[in-house]
Amino acid sequence: MAEKKSENKWVNHPLVYSLSIAVYCTAWTYYGSVGIAAESGISFLPIYLGPVIAVPLWIIAMRKIIRISKQNKISSIADFISLRYGNHRFLGALVTIISVLGIVPYISLQLKAISESFEILTNTSHSLTHNIFYDTTFYIAVILALFAAFYGTQKTDASEKHRGIVVSAAFESIVKLVFFLVIGVYVTFYLFDGTQDIYDRISKTENFEKLISFNGLESGFNWLFMIMLSFMAIFLLPRQFQVSVVENLRERHLKHTIWFFPLYLLLFNFFVIFIAWGGKLNLGETANAEYFALLLPLQNGNTFLALLVFLGGFSAVISMVVVSTLALSTMLSNNLIIPYGYLSKFSKADPEKNTNNIKTIRRISIFSLIILAFLFYRSFSIELSLYAIGLISFVIIAQLGPSFFFGLVWKRGSARASIVGIIIGFLFTFYTLILPFTIQSLTESTFFVENGPFGIALLKPYSLLGVDFLSPPAHAFFWSMLFNTITFLVVSISFRGNYRERNYAELFIDNKNYSSLQDNAFVWKGEAYVSNIKNVLNKFLGTERTERALDLFFRKYDLPKDTEKADARLINFSEKLLTGSIGSASAKILISNVIKEEEISLIEVLKILEESKENISHNKNLQEKSKELTQLTDQLKNANNELIFKDKQKDDFLDTVAHEIKTPLTGIRAATELLIDDEDEMPSELKQKFLNNILQDSDRLSRMINNILDFEKLTTDRISLDSKTHNLKKSIEKTIESLMHIANQNNISIDFSQIKDVEMRYDEDRIIQVITNLISNAMKFCDKANGKIFITNKIAGNEVEVCVTDNGKGIPMEDINYIFDKFYQSKNQNTKKPEGSGLGLAISKQIIEKHQGKIWVENIKNSGARFVFKLPLNN
Amino acid sequence: MKRRHEQKLVILSIVLFLCFNVPIILIFDINYAFFGIPILYFSIFSFWALSIIISYIVLKKHYE
Amino acid sequence: MNKILIVDDEPNIVMSLEYAFKKQNFEVFIARDGSEALEILKNNIPNVVLLDIMMPNVDGYQTLKEIKADQNLKHTKVVFLTAKNKASDVEKGLELGADLYLTKPFSIKKIIAIINELIQ
Repeated sequence: MAEKKSENKWVNHPLVYSLSIAVYCTAWTYYGSVGIAAESGISFLPIYLGPVIAVPLWIIAMRKIIRISKQNKISSIADFISLRYGNHRFLGALVTIISVLGIVPYISLQLKAISESFEILTNTSHSLTHNIFYDTTFYIAVILALFAAFYGTQKTDASEKHRGIVVSAAFESIVKLVFFLVIGVYVTFYLFDGTQDIYDRISKTENFEKLISFNGLESGFNWLFMIMLSFMAIFLLPRQFQVSVVENLRERHLKHTIWFFPLYLLLFNFFVIFIAWGGKLNLGETANAEYFALLLPLQNGNTFLALLVFLGGFSAVISMVVVSTLALSTMLSNNLIIPYGYLSKFSKADPEKNTNNIKTIRRISIFSLIILAFLFYRSFSIELSLYAIGLISFVIIAQLGPSFFFGLVWKRGSARASIVGIIIGFLFTFYTLILPFTIQSLTESTFFVENGPFGIALLKPYSLLGVDFLSPPAHAFFWSMLFNTITFLVVSISFRGNYRERNYAELFIDNKNYSSLQDNAFVWKGEAYVSNIKNVLNKFLGTERTERALDLFFRKYDLPKDTEKADARLINFSEKLLTGSIGSASAKILISNVIKEEEISLIEVLKILEESKENISHNKNLQEKSKELTQLTDQLKNANNELIFKDKQKDDFLDTVAHEIKTPLTGIRAATELLIDDEDEMPSELKQKFLNNILQDSDRLSRMINNILDFEKLTTDRISLDSKTHNLKKSIEKTIESLMHIANQNNISIDFSQIKDVEMRYDEDRIIQVITNLISNAMKFCDKANGKIFITNKIAGNEVEVCVTDNGKGIPMEDINYIFDKFYQSKNQNTKKPEGSGLGLAISKQIIEKHQGKIWVENIKNSGARFVFKLPLNN
Repeated sequence: MKRRHEQKLVILSIVLFLCFNVPIILIFDINYAFFGIPILYFSIFSFWALSIIISYIVLKKHYE
Repeated sequence: MNKILIVDDEPNIVMSLEYAFKKQNFEVFIARDGSEALEILKNNIPNVVLLDIMMPNVDGYQTLKEIKADQNLKHTKVVFLTAKNKASDVEKGLELGADLYLTKPFSIKKIIAIINELIQ
């Protein structure tokens, strides 16, 4: 529902995400850093070290924040904090106000930078004293305001992505970096002869050491607090939350950002000192150090380069202003204006009007913010440097810190504590940072700053309680954070939050456990009707979208479409739907207006959550068990099938045995009957023949029975080999001797001249049985007219191979795989009477394998077969 | 990404925090320049660059 | 003269049967397997065929099918003579169209009597 799939793949590249986060670098980085580097040295750096330290933590922190925000359709940091503390309306409004107070000065800083850099470029004078309509900054502000107002408000669902803005911000990040690097290289290597040259020259100037050193332990505190300040800023600044959380497309883009963003910052900052020093050397003390990047090329007549620098700064300003005002306007409309002003009006109007009204509210907000920033700029910008304004902005935003960071890890934080903490922190900030310069610019007097209110020295705004070694921003940061945090902790512990806060606390902090629960994680008790909720949704989403959404919901939870009563899941679901358009606080209010909620104790909340968790894990267990069961059943089925198969095999075997026995028996019986019934009609040679047949068949029968018993014993492992050391050559010769007469009868020559002596251990009787069988087979298959059988042996490594080769037609391909199976008789034998039992090769195989050997047959291309068996030498 | 690899990045963060601050950073606060870059800056930039390289390696190897 | 075709790959059995039927004044044809049998049947129409089942190349079942398909042999009786004696085997043989199903081992006297009766 939320994201539109972008057809262009490159806009979804993680680099776009990483670059958009560089919206952190604004005109402040462009101009302000150089100013500080030139005046006070290292203190321009901590603003970037904070993010560098923070970003590796993003792998855990930002991932969690992004996940929670996506699940709850959070569209701003005000949404995030207010939701965390129980969807608290006032807290959301407070965060919005603080953000506006913090960012408006920041925007005015950008306007100031534009104005001043423009004036330097065009060589016009400072126009602040003039009529507002002669101030070019005014027109820049108006144009910027109009542009931002329309560019950023195309959609009403604020949790939807603004791809266009993000991509432009990414592009602008490239532009500003490239141009800054160009000027850096220009100053360092063109205006001077490299870094060594600049250093050599600048180090000779007076007071140089303080530019490259800490200057004492106290500045270490300033340094530390500035780092902590910028650490918080990278999380809390509305524009940072917008680009890093709300506009995040995929969590895994973090993988690139974590190393890329610090790299970007490093590149940006590298040349700052050299530009600063170059400026000091070439332009002296009178020029405004902040604009060295412009002044240096201008001084050398390089107007084109100066223009590039200006454009770089300008692009930095645009992306900052557009993204910030987008973020702020969302907060203003969703967390301040709608909940406190328009809600009843919206409930009565129709969806289209509501959408337009929301858009209008946002546009007016953006416009007003920029105009306000312009007014701030006109009132206060003379007194304050870019750098100073930026730090004030950061300290104000930092007041959101304790609620935000504790809210991620501590379940006990409460909404009340956040509110009080933020207010107190802001008061301290106001007193120590804002009040002094306000009074100074309005009354031109420095009494307040130097002597404290009514002369009370301990309450001097820049050195409360005598802490006087900190710079004003660090000082303000220290005290405001101290009291903000203490208040937050104390109030959280002293006053219990309500169950709603605790529900969300659980969801946020134990996010991993509950993410699977989704809508189920929301605990609610009471009475609600679907029709009422539907009405509310219709007002903002229109009837069609509402129908579709509810359809999805009922299908997801397997509920009938005409369900009347709404449960906690539907309420949560509906609230989320509305959050995009009007913010979570307003969504909650609208929904709660149409439902009757019952008080539910904290204990009950936790119990229900536990039960939901248990149910889900129970379901998972059941699923696993059922999977195991299916696996077992399959295994049993397989085993059963195997048994059935083996059984059938046994049956087949017995059938074949029976057949093999009955055949010679039949022959014996028939011949015997004929002889008995003969009344002297049979010629005596025929009688001899029949008697021979009887003999032959009897032998055959007894051989068959022996083989079968042998085979049976071998296969059931009941035979043990009688292995002794024998000479293989002698055994083979013995075998051949006993078969010689058959060979001679059939004109078959057996060549065993190549046999070598081998002493090894084997069961001689059995091996002779094997060789006999092989030679018998060879005699069956060899060439009828000129039968030749070769027997050879050889030693191959750890084994002896014996080959029996014949010169017949070879084994037919269809037989080759089955020839060692029991009872397999080839169809291509020489003799008409099948002399073998069909078991010979099967028995041989058993014998050889019992010896831990291997037996197989190879065809020698159309000219015979070679039976090979090998036996291990050391048995 | 597995827990123990995430922790590598957390430790990187903590180490950076310690290295960038007093008192460790004061070790590098000496008046000397390396190719025109004062040692203090150079060391900060080096830690910075090192952290980028370490993050890159950890993420490349372990982010599935 | 009655003609009989004996189809069996066991030479000893064939020899006995051949002698016995020749004594009964049959003209005896011999085939070692189904394909040889079918060859012989191309040019001769015996009164009865004694058919083994387990034979190389073309087995008894196939041979029976071919004989049944041949119009010229519709008066020729086919008798299975086999060691396969399970009830299912007998059923199969008779279903395929054999006129009789006899099992091995057999009595020569009995076979001669049965065959004579069959071709009457």
